[in-house]
Amino acid sequence: MGILTITNTCSHLQNATRARLGLTSVPNTKYNLRLALAMHRAGLLSSVTRGGPSPPPTEALSLLETEPVTSANVATRRLWLGLKYWNNEPVIRKVQPISRPSRLVTATAQELGRVARGFPVGSIKGLTLGETLFVSTDRGVLEVREALERKVGGLVLCRVS
Amino acid sequence: MSVARPAARRLISGRLAAAVPGAAAAAAATPSTAPCQHVFAHQFHSSAAMAARRRPRFANVRAADMGIMSEKQIDQFTQEKFPKYTDEELALLRTKYSPEQIAALEAGEAAINPRDLTIQGRLRVDPYRVPYIDDFAESQPVIDKRPQNKPPPDPHARFMNMDEFTEDLINWADQFTTGDVTGTLKRLEDFVPDEYKKTPEGRWPGEVRAQAHKDFQRYLQTEVDKQKQNKGVEQEAPDSSGPTDADVLQYILERSAMTDNNLQSNSALALGLPDKVPGVSGLYKNAIDPEDAGLDDIGMYQDLKKRTGMSVKQILAVNVRRLLTRWVSNQTRLGKVRSCWVMCVAGNGDGWLGLGEAKSTEPSVATLKARLLAIQNMRPIRRYEKRTIYGESEVKISGTIVKLMARPPGFGLRVSHRIFEMCRAAGIYDLSARMPRSRNPMNSIKATFQALCNQRDPEEIAMGRGKKMVDARKVYYGGAVF
Repeated sequence: MGILTITNTCSHLQNATRARLGLTSVPNTKYNLRLALAMHRAGLLSSVTRGGPSPPPTEALSLLETEPVTSANVATRRLWLGLKYWNNEPVIRKVQPISRPSRLVTATAQELGRVARGFPVGSIKGLTLGETLFVSTDRGVLEVREALERKVGGLVLCRVS
Repeated sequence: MSVARPAARRLISGRLAAAVPGAAAAAAATPSTAPCQHVFAHQFHSSAAMAARRRPRFANVRAADMGIMSEKQIDQFTQEKFPKYTDEELALLRTKYSPEQIAALEAGEAAINPRDLTIQGRLRVDPYRVPYIDDFAESQPVIDKRPQNKPPPDPHARFMNMDEFTEDLINWADQFTTGDVTGTLKRLEDFVPDEYKKTPEGRWPGEVRAQAHKDFQRYLQTEVDKQKQNKGVEQEAPDSSGPTDADVLQYILERSAMTDNNLQSNSALALGLPDKVPGVSGLYKNAIDPEDAGLDDIGMYQDLKKRTGMSVKQILAVNVRRLLTRWVSNQTRLGKVRSCWVMCVAGNGDGWLGLGEAKSTEPSVATLKARLLAIQNMRPIRRYEKRTIYGESEVKISGTIVKLMARPPGFGLRVSHRIFEMCRAAGIYDLSARMPRSRNPMNSIKATFQALCNQRDPEEIAMGRGKKMVDARKVYYGGAVF
């Protein structure tokens, strides 16, 4: 599935925050997990927990997983993401996938620097107030400013504001 | 089309039932349509109908259920912020207020649900809040009506005649008992025979009344002469008693001329005068406020002054522009009634902007109304460095999308002419705008106003994400950006 799970996750997250959900789930894939953890680091998600098909209890949300993954239960695992709200407004307003299965968009570190300063590069529009970009690099999925600190570029996944 | 129509399916099931010998009796016993009764709801497409609304395979949890926006938190906040009066507080209040006022207070407390205060009411913390929370302890002359603390006027009062006036004057003078003139003055009744003393003056015989009046006048004259002589003798001694000039002035200005026993009134208007005297109404304007310094002689801004609390000078300093005029018509059975619709924008050039729209058959009236409304509707606009907006702001109204973008210092206003006027009024100097779709004049103005009002607050975004935010420009220039 590759990048397709990321585009699906983007749409799902946007739908979920607009529906004012507190906890929602996405398929348990490595790509999804890395993106979710990067969003968690950026303060966009309140929790990332790997759990079963039913929502984990509130006290388990601080854990990374409710039970160890085994070959017996791996097929039923899902990632449960806690969504954030501030002043009755969702913290995530818009999630826009950039790379699609039919068109992967990459950017070098220099190009990412230009984008982060608000200038467009190719098909990627410049970032504005409150926008972040998530990039899949050989150091994992990073927010654009983390990628710039490490001077790495990579596959541009999505734009969140 | 692979699905059988209801009629066809009934036919088929009937045939099948007939083909199987045992089933025929059963089919006859039960109504033949029973097995496929639900099919009678018409199907307009060939795919199978769903039994119920589709549910997601993996259940989600609503934010309210997680306590993020929960009832319990609302209740907790209500109890913290809007508690009931304790017994001690009530006892304190009873020392301060009368029982009727206490009853009114309790009725007010009972009438307002504190939960509504939590959900709907809001203690403002923004920099533009009113500097007080009003407890109505003191009246504000602009907002409040004047207190009506005098009793209602006497409905049967009429103007005094000569004798009543004299009597009233003597009554007034009798207050100053130590004076020479007053205090022991005789009355008209003292000059008639004893049998007439109790009867009113109207029933006295003519000659008795004439004689009494003559005697009374003579008596008054002698008293006055006597006083004149006394004045001559006691010229040196200061007159410490008797009515002073202030008393006389008060008598002239404030003494009631009606037979209502000097009742004071809440209103300066005489009772019984109509609200607007026919033939006179409109000829005399209300007194104009001397504070205006002659800037508003026709009283155009008096209402606005009360609504906004601005002075006429401040109102006149506001930059108001007419941005749009349209001719609209109302189609009646008598024909089209055309009127003029005007939209104005007002701003003080320092972060306040207002929009006013008005309609009238007369263009000048519509413009005036729109101008006043625009000034009245002025509200603060968030500005970055007092020259541009925060980030990007996009608003869609009908088919019009207006996208405003912040720009660096010195960029200028590269925007269309109506947005240019709005920016100038609001005090925005660097901006760029796009209207990718419809450029309807009215909607573009409205959308621009909304976009300027609904900018995102970077502080709020940072707090939502739990991040610390630093304005890099401010740090780089050491805070000297504006």
